[in-house]
Amino acid sequence: MSSLSVNFPYRDRCVPAGKSGYNHLQTSFVGSFPAGILQVRVGLNKPSKRANLFPCIKCEKKEEPFEHVSVERPPYYSYMDSTSGQLEPASGARASIPGEEYWPEGTASRVRAARAPEPTGTSEGSPSYGKTPGSRRKKYKTAAAAESSQVSVEPSDPVVPEIIEEIMEDPKDFSSDYVIYQTKFEESEEAGYELDKKFGRPHPFIDPKVKKPMEEPLTSEELWWNWRKPEKEQWSRWQRRRPDVETVFLKAMAETGQVKLYDEHPTLTETSLYRARRHLFKEERLKAEQERLERIGPMAYYSEWVKAWKRDTSRNAIQKHFEETGEDENTQLIEMFCHQTDREYRIMMGTDTRIRRDPLAMRMREDQIKQIWGGLPDEVIDYRGPDFHEPTPNMLAHLKEHGKIISREELEKILAKEKTEELEITDMDDAMARAVDIGENEEDEEDNEADTEEEEEKITRNWSVLKSTPQLKKSKAKPKKEDPMSLEEAVEDSENLTDFLMDFEEDE
Amino acid sequence: MAASSVPLHNVGGCFSYPRREREYHHGRGWSPPPRARYPFRPINASVETPFPLFQPPPLQQSPSQLEPADPDFYKIGYVRSMRAYGIEFKEGPDGFGVYASKDVEPLRRARVIMEIPLELMLTIRQKQPWMFFPDVVPIGHPIFDIINSTNPETDWDLRLACLLLYAFDRDDNFWQLYGDFLPSADECTSLLLATEDDLSELQDPGLASTMRNKQQRALEFWEKNWHSGVPLKIKRLARDAERFIWAVSIAQSRCINMQVRIGALVQDANMLIPYADMLNHSFQPNCFLHWRFKDRMVEVMINAGQRIKKGDEMTINYLNGQQNHMLMQRYGFSSAVNPWDLIPFSGNAHIHLDSFLSVFNISGLPEEYYHNSQLADNGDNFVDGAVIAAARTLPTWSDGDVPPIPSIERKAVKELQEECRQMLAQFPTTSEQDQKFLDSMPEARRTLGTAIKCRLHRKLFMEKVIQALDIYQERILF
Repeated sequence: MSSLSVNFPYRDRCVPAGKSGYNHLQTSFVGSFPAGILQVRVGLNKPSKRANLFPCIKCEKKEEPFEHVSVERPPYYSYMDSTSGQLEPASGARASIPGEEYWPEGTASRVRAARAPEPTGTSEGSPSYGKTPGSRRKKYKTAAAAESSQVSVEPSDPVVPEIIEEIMEDPKDFSSDYVIYQTKFEESEEAGYELDKKFGRPHPFIDPKVKKPMEEPLTSEELWWNWRKPEKEQWSRWQRRRPDVETVFLKAMAETGQVKLYDEHPTLTETSLYRARRHLFKEERLKAEQERLERIGPMAYYSEWVKAWKRDTSRNAIQKHFEETGEDENTQLIEMFCHQTDREYRIMMGTDTRIRRDPLAMRMREDQIKQIWGGLPDEVIDYRGPDFHEPTPNMLAHLKEHGKIISREELEKILAKEKTEELEITDMDDAMARAVDIGENEEDEEDNEADTEEEEEKITRNWSVLKSTPQLKKSKAKPKKEDPMSLEEAVEDSENLTDFLMDFEEDE
Repeated sequence: MAASSVPLHNVGGCFSYPRREREYHHGRGWSPPPRARYPFRPINASVETPFPLFQPPPLQQSPSQLEPADPDFYKIGYVRSMRAYGIEFKEGPDGFGVYASKDVEPLRRARVIMEIPLELMLTIRQKQPWMFFPDVVPIGHPIFDIINSTNPETDWDLRLACLLLYAFDRDDNFWQLYGDFLPSADECTSLLLATEDDLSELQDPGLASTMRNKQQRALEFWEKNWHSGVPLKIKRLARDAERFIWAVSIAQSRCINMQVRIGALVQDANMLIPYADMLNHSFQPNCFLHWRFKDRMVEVMINAGQRIKKGDEMTINYLNGQQNHMLMQRYGFSSAVNPWDLIPFSGNAHIHLDSFLSVFNISGLPEEYYHNSQLADNGDNFVDGAVIAAARTLPTWSDGDVPPIPSIERKAVKELQEECRQMLAQFPTTSEQDQKFLDSMPEARRTLGTAIKCRLHRKLFMEKVIQALDIYQERILF
């Protein structure tokens, strides 16, 4: 950014006046500066004298001082940057930041808050953290101590002006564009460790003056890489992760002192190690057992679980028995097992969960057992519901009573009834057939010849057919007329009152 | 409680500078009037420079006695992103004050001098349900129930006091650090801490009884909620009643009521704002408070168009349009130049309002009388808040163009003056005696000094009214 500050108040005057000195000055100035820059200052005694002689055009604002700013423009606009290897502009690597008018909302206040200088100065008092409010105020009131307070205030006065904090809204050195070079060299005093470091002599890694003694190692809870999340946030202990069988076992073993762990909780490594060792031990034990079985023979081996078998079970005894009675080993085994109790059998087979087989499990605490298996082995589970106090009714009788269930015989009866329903229907049809047609339905004179030849039963089913055949009706009506019955007989004879409905129209 | 039902929305006192919000009340103490005058704009309430006839009480906070406050005071706020621009906190014998550290040109825009984030404040809503900044929610703490049992409309000071005490107890709370700069119990001027003789020194039985009631109320509240069977968590908040009453007095005098919008909710909040409560009161304030919704900060802003010189005190109007006894009840200070003070005149004497106003060059509507210095001759320092109060409280008549009759006017003036003198005579002491009393015991208890000053101001006010009537009599134009 270059500014042209030219002050030629008397240029027009001087030239015709022919002041050679000034001309020389002028030309010499022009000649000495590189092209593009004109910086001429004519501030000599002459102007004051000239003012009287020559009318001159002066600036309106008299008091405004001239801004003598000169910033040299770089001789190039762009250059090849050695770091990036690309063309880079000389003026700046980025476009200029827009002014405050273009800032988004709130930026101005944030910028102002960020620019506010930090308070300097140290305080003499210290906070009381709520215990004595008003302790850091300056107390002016006490008269007796007024003298002493005055005395004490004054020595602090020279301190106080130094502590005055100037809290300005705009920072002071904001618009200096120049780079300030260090003219005097700072002498940094180094000795001992730093000298060694500077000169490359052998030195410890940490400055012994600055070195802090090693602290106690943190517990696993405090370690920042402890991945275990705290359980405290859950509202119930049931929400925590259920522990593994092996973890619990390992922890129990650590508690009894059989195994040494690094911390109170076993880690994954320790757990897998335990698992491996347990597997190996189990294999070992199984092998030992097998070997023992082979060694002492099955009778002796299994007699461990048959308390009632008191006889000798060594191989010789079995051999002798075999020779005596001819029962071979298996038979003898069977004989032995006949004396075994059920409990013993279950223990031997190891299938009963109520009988503990694991020596460690026998010695575990209740809470540890509950951790894995969720309850005590001898626990009696209670399935009683909320209406426990009411006796359980006999469901069958209860349902029968309410008619929800019927017995098999009744069911068969009903089914049978369904079959005989047909006959009843035909009876009904007979009675209906004997009834006299009132003539509600339209009668078709079309006779179905085939129907008349059918049996009565069939005809009576086709009620409409019957209606349409007057011959049939006549045959039916005749016996009624021929045998005039008494009223009572007629009533008994009839199914219902419709029998007495006489259809006169039909007849005549 | 009568004191709490202070009308917050007061049309009166609407000054001519564009203020964004009006009701800001906070108390720290009252400073003597600013020394500068503002010749370019009409001064609204009154000129606060002392009247030369009466020797003003020596300004206790003359510039030489002001010292910069402890640097930690600003530092603890700065660290928590509170900022102060162009001001300094200074301490004098009367307490803290905020002073400009550089000149400010009158701008069209109000300029921010302080911004305080919400996290530093103790806020509580004045209606149910109460909402407050989450950090100070005492949910697990038994004080929650105590606060909940109060009535938010009337017991706001007790609630704030409980919150303040709770904040003192919390380990990482800002108020633990800031509490060291609050006035302690022997520096606090609130009359809640006054003893019986202080109250009797007031020479105002109404005010004394009100204060006694308030003290009683606070004490009862403490006894009810801090009885001996209460858990330790509560007990250690206020071991004795004095601490609780001190907290109530702090809460009352430093509470600011603002309409605050947080999120979508606009609430009437009672707030204890840390640095803004160090601003003193003036009837011609040069600052006001504004709530910045965007980042939830309270800004203290200089009035637009206000010219401020270096060293000027920044002031706010605590309570607009209230008499001295209300100021005394709530904030523990009084003023001789309160433009809203009232004198209960009885009788039929009336003076002509328009001529009174024109004599003293008071213009504006009755709610916003101000001394129009452009009309006045230069150098007239007589008109101050007391004269404006006189214009409001003197019985006046005004009937359009009907001119006042001189003889009746004079008679009325004489009657009113006589009434004033009678009222003055009813006081046991005169103002000079009061002044002497004050000067003779500089190390008196704060509350005693405040009580004496209260009655002194009342008498000064009345004397000024008498004087004003004298001048009116002389200058009546016919």
